Amino acid sequence: MNSKNAAAAPRPRHRPYRQIPHTADLAWRLWGESLPKLFENAGRALSATLTDLRSLRRAEVRQVSLTSSDQEALLVDWLNHLLYLFDTDGFLGRDFEIASLNGASLTAKVTGDIFDASRHPSKTGIKAATYHHLEIVPEDEGWRATVVLDL
Amino acid sequence: MVKLRQIDDYRWEIPREGKMRTRGLVFCSKEMLPSIQEDQSLQQVANVATLPGIVGPSMAMPDIHWGYGFAIGGVAAFDLTDGIVSPGGVGYDINCGVRLLRTKLRRDQVECCIEDLVNTLFSNIPSGVGSRRQDFKLTGATFKKVLKDGARWAVKDGFGEASDLAHIEAGGRIDGADPDLVSEFAMNRGKDQLGTLGSGNHFVEVGYVDEIFDAPLAAQLGLFENQITAIVHTGSRGLGHQVCEDYIKVMLKASAKYGIELPDRQLCCAPISSPEGKNYLAAMAGAANFAFANRQMITHWVRQSFEHVYQMGPRDLGLDLVYDVAHNIAKIETHTVDGTPRKLCIHRKGATRAFPPGHPEVPEAYRATGQPVLIPGDMGRYSFVLVGTQKALEETFGSTCHGAGRKMSRHMAKKAAKGRFIVKELAEKGIIVRGAGRATIDEEISEAYKDVAGVVEVVHNAGIAKKVARLKPLGVIKG
Repeated sequence: MNSKNAAAAPRPRHRPYRQIPHTADLAWRLWGESLPKLFENAGRALSATLTDLRSLRRAEVRQVSLTSSDQEALLVDWLNHLLYLFDTDGFLGRDFEIASLNGASLTAKVTGDIFDASRHPSKTGIKAATYHHLEIVPEDEGWRATVVLDL
Repeated sequence: MVKLRQIDDYRWEIPREGKMRTRGLVFCSKEMLPSIQEDQSLQQVANVATLPGIVGPSMAMPDIHWGYGFAIGGVAAFDLTDGIVSPGGVGYDINCGVRLLRTKLRRDQVECCIEDLVNTLFSNIPSGVGSRRQDFKLTGATFKKVLKDGARWAVKDGFGEASDLAHIEAGGRIDGADPDLVSEFAMNRGKDQLGTLGSGNHFVEVGYVDEIFDAPLAAQLGLFENQITAIVHTGSRGLGHQVCEDYIKVMLKASAKYGIELPDRQLCCAPISSPEGKNYLAAMAGAANFAFANRQMITHWVRQSFEHVYQMGPRDLGLDLVYDVAHNIAKIETHTVDGTPRKLCIHRKGATRAFPPGHPEVPEAYRATGQPVLIPGDMGRYSFVLVGTQKALEETFGSTCHGAGRKMSRHMAKKAAKGRFIVKELAEKGIIVRGAGRATIDEEISEAYKDVAGVVEVVHNAGIAKKVARLKPLGVIKG
């Protein structure tokens, strides 16, 4: 999403993710036309915060399978699992495909790259996604979520 | 908006209301109030006051800002029998903390090579998003030793001097750590992160003593004007984040199990006496020890970098540890409440322990001065050295502020830095900065932070710490 285009064309009604003001840390407003899309956008927001999404090749694949206590907790677990993959072997997703999302469980396929400081810009480090002010609510034709991150 | 009642120039009370079990007590000046009231941090102080077994008020230091669950800059004490422990009251970065090293060098002796020094530090200490060590990975038995013994393990393994340990909070090792309660996930995240700085507001800073407020105290801390110093600010990295996350999940269930009503999910907790509470404290101690070992190893590379750049031996450099304090931790401590000594669990989230002269937990070297308190500012201004006081012990369970506190979101800071070259601006002010990424440096610009001097002024005037010296940066490596 480049700012020149955004100025020229009418702004899309819902951006897949954007930062909302929160003094200490970082908060995201996420949007998706469906719940799986919302989760996919959350994954993209995470990679785009850590580095430049476009610099990531589609070189590696990770299968993810998670079960949580409820859907909101699943969103937090999903983001924290992606951070876990990043911390353990440097993996960062470029493409996120939620294969199934039922209640509080999901399976996903993530395609991406191994972070290499010489090829990938180092942006903002994230310690964790938190439960603070966490919500997923229906909005218009889709879903909107708020997640606060600890940096 | 949360009600506030002024007590004196530096104390404000949040009166007990609704489900609050105690009052809130906020340390700040009148000038700071509007910015504190802008966000929800005072509500968070009030929320903590609703938790079971809280002893004394739910407190906030002048660097308070909106956190998740507990406010950052919060202090809360809980009774060991009917009180709770909450991972959210410690934070994800368990035992994030600061250590200060002094040298025998004067400013004029190092100015030639600050850039060289900063570059050397930057290449010796992995920093930035996803920083990891290529040279070693922790495995099995060694990993467990790190979690059990913290900085003691590091010193035994050749990273530093035995004398360092006497100058670290809790001797660089929190008792009661149980590595078996640290998940495999957490160990996986930490295995190649020991000895790395990480990102965000973490840094290593070389600076000098720019002003002394109390000459006798400064002398006893081994500080003199124009002396070169080094500060290390980092924590327990991915291992600590994962321990917090693991136990937040445990605590979400435990809160329901023990019937604890939560105003915010992130405040989830369990009775200290419950298996969940005990397990968290034992895992947290492991993560805290990992952080102590981390800062100890980084210290070793700081020493090596100085030796390499200035071609001097350790004896001539005199890079001794002044002190190392934790500012995200829960500790079991004995405090006198209404005349009776009681064992309490003190949560300090973005707050520093500040024990007075004569306290048994203050190392021998500082029995007469009080425990050194290190308050880092932003990378463009200054940091402060203070000591703990009797008043802090009596009023705040021996706690004081921990830093400047942000006033701009990272997003706003980046906007403010847009079109500017922050590294060059700082260089013009005589501060060499190296960072792994431009984004972190932009997010950490001086304007994004409150002036730490204001925060320190409040704790000094309120008597919950005493100013000793001010340090100015010369070179900084940022994550």
